[in-house]
Amino acid sequence: MKKVIVIFCVLSLLIFIRPALGLGTNTNSNNINSSKTTEQVDTIEESNSYSGAFEGLQQFYNYTGFANVTSGHAIMILIGIIFIFLGIKYDYEPLLLIPIGTGVILGNIPFVAGNQTGIYETGSVLNYLYFGVVKGIYPPLIFLGIGAMTDFSSLIANPKLMLLGAAAQIGVFATFLGALYLGFSLPEAGAIGIIGGADGPTAIFLSSKLANGINILADGTTVKNLIGPIAIAAYSYMALVPVIQPPLMRLLISKKDRKIKMKPPRAVTQKEKMIFPIVALILTLFISPSALPLLGMLFFGNLLKESGRTERLADTARTKLIDIVTILLGVTVGASTQADIFITKDSMLIFGLGAISFIIATCGGLMFAKLMNLFLKGDNKINPLIGAAGVSAVPDSARVVHHEGLKSDPSNYLLMHAMAPNVSGVIGSAIAAGIILSFLG
Amino acid sequence: MTDQISEGYVILMTGLLIVFSALVTLMLFFKYGLPLMLYTYKIITKGKEKKISEIKVVADRDFTGEMSAAIGAAVHMYLREQHDHESAILTIKQVKKPYSPWSSKIYGTQNRL
Repeated sequence: MKKVIVIFCVLSLLIFIRPALGLGTNTNSNNINSSKTTEQVDTIEESNSYSGAFEGLQQFYNYTGFANVTSGHAIMILIGIIFIFLGIKYDYEPLLLIPIGTGVILGNIPFVAGNQTGIYETGSVLNYLYFGVVKGIYPPLIFLGIGAMTDFSSLIANPKLMLLGAAAQIGVFATFLGALYLGFSLPEAGAIGIIGGADGPTAIFLSSKLANGINILADGTTVKNLIGPIAIAAYSYMALVPVIQPPLMRLLISKKDRKIKMKPPRAVTQKEKMIFPIVALILTLFISPSALPLLGMLFFGNLLKESGRTERLADTARTKLIDIVTILLGVTVGASTQADIFITKDSMLIFGLGAISFIIATCGGLMFAKLMNLFLKGDNKINPLIGAAGVSAVPDSARVVHHEGLKSDPSNYLLMHAMAPNVSGVIGSAIAAGIILSFLG
Repeated sequence: MTDQISEGYVILMTGLLIVFSALVTLMLFFKYGLPLMLYTYKIITKGKEKKISEIKVVADRDFTGEMSAAIGAAVHMYLREQHDHESAILTIKQVKKPYSPWSSKIYGTQNRL
């Protein structure tokens, strides 16, 4: 044992000494060189080598983050840390916030441009990964996974709840109009509006098509690159659903209405579940073909799940595949918030509009549920709270509705009922994205 | 600017209309279309079943309950008496144990490595 330790010590000593020896030889050669050049004036020799070393150090310093840091970088890194903190400490969508937070830090490490480091420099690794965001590749893959996870049976059992998913899309179009009034161009406004759909992948998909910084507008100017702010706004408001929605619910829905118990949904046969994705795929895409990448993948994933023959594929889609894509999407979207591009007046406006669109979407769903109740009789009446689940944010908003229902009546279980408008909200926002894309794309 | 906003209103109205109409068609289909489809499917498949059941069983008048009881008893006894055939070949398998030092004496306290 002692021998081993001795050998290890000797080896490690050798390893540590070697650079010293190497340094020695270097200095020797330097001396030789300098002796050649400084035959005339001996005193300059020393100062030359010192200044050389100093210049090297200074150049190194110029490349470090410390030299290039700006207040923007510092703010964004702080935001990244806050995201990570929120994800870990309060469990606010940690699967999204932790990758995005890390991405925000990654994207805001100050660097000297031109070394293929940054996400916006062609050829850099992050730029290649970002390609999936810019070209809208990741969102459909995520939708595939969501389709393979989602159970549409509550929607099939009670098809009228689909209307709630449509009603919540009022938020999308109202925000679109608001953004127009604030001076955004049409495609930018369309991309901002979709934040109200409360659907991260859809928002990224639409903004990558409309506000990608590449398209050229009718008046000759290029659209702004708003993918980063829109994605961050969409995801952060999705994480904030438990904070935003309950006050609105209490404000709009009376205590008596909150206690309405809905009759349990009927059992849905496997045959119906299999038919649903195929029929919904054909019907929705015939109406809004531009939503094809999103809805096509969503219903394809659902068919994989319900067909009963492709459990392996469905399993991969809803676990490994969606995890991989979420990692890539989170990090690159986070990294796309490079301070010089992200901290602008537009981003602040987008955050404001996003909050408003969320509120309008929630109110739209709630009010429409109340309206539907006017026409429904007896035990067919729906609990208006589930209207709030019409903003997609699957499954968070359904969970919030459930909790809010439990608060007013501890024996009222709304989760299954709320899932119906929730999933139809996903379909609705994808259709809305398709419509906006076909108008403005 | 005003032109943009008026276009915005057009998109707002048509967009909402299309979203609603899409989900309403879906709703109508699943409320009325799907049950109809399943019903017709049921009728079609039932029709096939009827064809199969149309084969008439010609009653054999000589075949009495006693006979069927006797056959049943015979089958039952046959199945009960039946042994499964086991292989009569006996082999002694050599059991190879991998070396395991769990009780090895060389690891005792008396022996130092």
